[in-house]
Amino acid sequence: MIDSLVFEAKIIGFKEGFKIGLVWFVFYSYLFINDRTKLIRPFYAGLILSVLCSMSILLIPNDVISVVFIGNTISMSFALFLILSGAALYHASGVNLLPRKSNLWNESIFRIIVFILAIIFFLPDLAGTLVYLDELSMLKENALMTSISAAAGLVIAGVIFVAFIKLYKPYWMGSFFAIPQLLLFVAIVKLFGSGIRGIAELSLVPSVQRGFMKFIHDFVHQTFVMLMVPDHPLLKKTTWDFIAIFFGSGFASFASLIILLTIPAVFVYHSLFKPLPETGEESRVSRRRIKSIILSDRRKKALPVMLFVIFIIVAWFSQGEESVSRIFIPEPRPLIADKGEIVIPLNDRTINVTDGTLHKFSLIHEGEEIRLIVIKKADNTLSVCLDACEICPPVGYGQRDDHVVCIYCKTPIPVNTLGDPGGCNPIPLTAAIDDNFIRVEMKEILKKWGFVNRGESEK
Amino acid sequence: MPLIKVNNVIKEYETAHALRGVSMDVEKGQWVNIMGSSGSGKSTLLNIIGGLDSASSGDVFIDSTNIESLSEDELALFRSEKVGFIFQQSHLIPYLTAVENVMLAQYFHSMADEDEAADALKRVGLGQRLRHRPSQLSGGEQQRICIARALINSPEILLADEPTGNLDRDNTKKVLELLKSLHTEDHFTIVLVTHDPFVSQWGERLLMMEDGHITGDELLKGRPES
Repeated sequence: MIDSLVFEAKIIGFKEGFKIGLVWFVFYSYLFINDRTKLIRPFYAGLILSVLCSMSILLIPNDVISVVFIGNTISMSFALFLILSGAALYHASGVNLLPRKSNLWNESIFRIIVFILAIIFFLPDLAGTLVYLDELSMLKENALMTSISAAAGLVIAGVIFVAFIKLYKPYWMGSFFAIPQLLLFVAIVKLFGSGIRGIAELSLVPSVQRGFMKFIHDFVHQTFVMLMVPDHPLLKKTTWDFIAIFFGSGFASFASLIILLTIPAVFVYHSLFKPLPETGEESRVSRRRIKSIILSDRRKKALPVMLFVIFIIVAWFSQGEESVSRIFIPEPRPLIADKGEIVIPLNDRTINVTDGTLHKFSLIHEGEEIRLIVIKKADNTLSVCLDACEICPPVGYGQRDDHVVCIYCKTPIPVNTLGDPGGCNPIPLTAAIDDNFIRVEMKEILKKWGFVNRGESEK
Repeated sequence: MPLIKVNNVIKEYETAHALRGVSMDVEKGQWVNIMGSSGSGKSTLLNIIGGLDSASSGDVFIDSTNIESLSEDELALFRSEKVGFIFQQSHLIPYLTAVENVMLAQYFHSMADEDEAADALKRVGLGQRLRHRPSQLSGGEQQRICIARALINSPEILLADEPTGNLDRDNTKKVLELLKSLHTEDHFTIVLVTHDPFVSQWGERLLMMEDGHITGDELLKGRPES
């Protein structure tokens, strides 16, 4: 039976090999069509340097270069390629963005640019992958097996690519790309293949989605908090229900999808709808012929972009469902108030609230369900909160890694910050915790439950 | 070098010889008529010159290119760039208007341009018939659309296979006068196939065909009076 960790290493290796092969193939095809295949050399140089640098990163202690830092670098490099593609398209549309007399096709400048971009593309991804594989090998306690498995995945991808190219020689595909489309292609490859959380997140899509959602959430939330004083009569539950629509998962997801599709949409507009330039030909037939060649070329180059758009839309919606389902949401355990307090055992036959996972409890008060959450933080203290915040409807929280995530607006909140009041944080409860039990007074619970969904901050 | 050079072309079918070693030259800008009885091989020769058919042996050079050696794609490009065709039947699309029929030829060449197509129809005297469908037009008018369609992409060669075969004498004369005036203005080369002695006298040169051979070649003096 294949060990799941070893199998995961193989998948990660395959993904990296596939990515390298795909980018190489498309870039080489582009050079082939333009009869400049010698310019592939700086690409190889950038790739080799990236491999060496990423391997040397493993020698640096984890606390100096963290996975989060690498993840952010990958996201920034994705954004860079996306922006560069837009800029290149703008340049290609006739607006010269470069200093006069400069020419990207000047071979020495082009070589340097290719070399730098190859490093920007490959280095963060390879570093992230190697750091993740390093973590996997520690879990497996067999670094050799993990490394062999990852290398096998990489070789399999390489063999598939080499066989495909040797067999079909599909270099004609390079005619579908100009420099703007190439840069967009690279950005899309990054979007779909640069996740560094193993099989859980092969692509950047979930983290980009979370990033956009967090941004939209914070923007909307802070705007409304600034606009409304806490005791304003408008701050009723219904008002907050309305406001919360803006950072609910549906709206945020849709808005971020629109943002991500903006540049490809500009490409499609440029290719299919932008008026054709007038040509200087004398005869109408020649003008028509040249325009048709331009139009045909534009349509050809719109094709991969339209495929990207389809990929993004499909991946986005499928990823949205997946990311929701990946949140761990425990079933609440019933509690009964006794002598004005509720008591939760820390550890008995059925429960261990100190195990680092999220635990939920519910009690019924005057026909209304009130839920609590308990989770252990990194400093080994327990955090006890209501399963609700002051803003969203009290749908509650789930757990993803070291975050609790609002099920309504998907805002991730680090477990270690639980206990902070206000905003999207779960409303903290004052609890008495001893070696065996957590005790919370009903008076405290009911008082804090009054904050739920009404915007009255206890700050 | 002549624009069209046909060199010992033979065309054999399973049961018959359509062309038995035809050779001819046509200079650029010349109007050449080929006359012969039915089955003499004149339409076969025209189709081979236009790249619609291939010779069993022999070479056909158009503008120094041997079209017998071209691939299907190259032949299609050759036809769209170099040659315009007019046939006895108009082959107009019945549910398209006159201008749309001309635009269709533009579309297959490069891209449609309605203004240019309309101008071409005005040039052949159909400025008032742009939005008419073929069924709403006379045979002569339909053939004039065909001429506009054939010339819309400025071909170097116009190949006409019995272009007036379905027309009465009056309309035949109108069509030929139109061709004459366009030829004078644009200087394209015309190879016209006919069995009608009246039509054969329009143009600059007459080739006679019989049983797959060219049997006569004479220069014409000019337009007949009737």
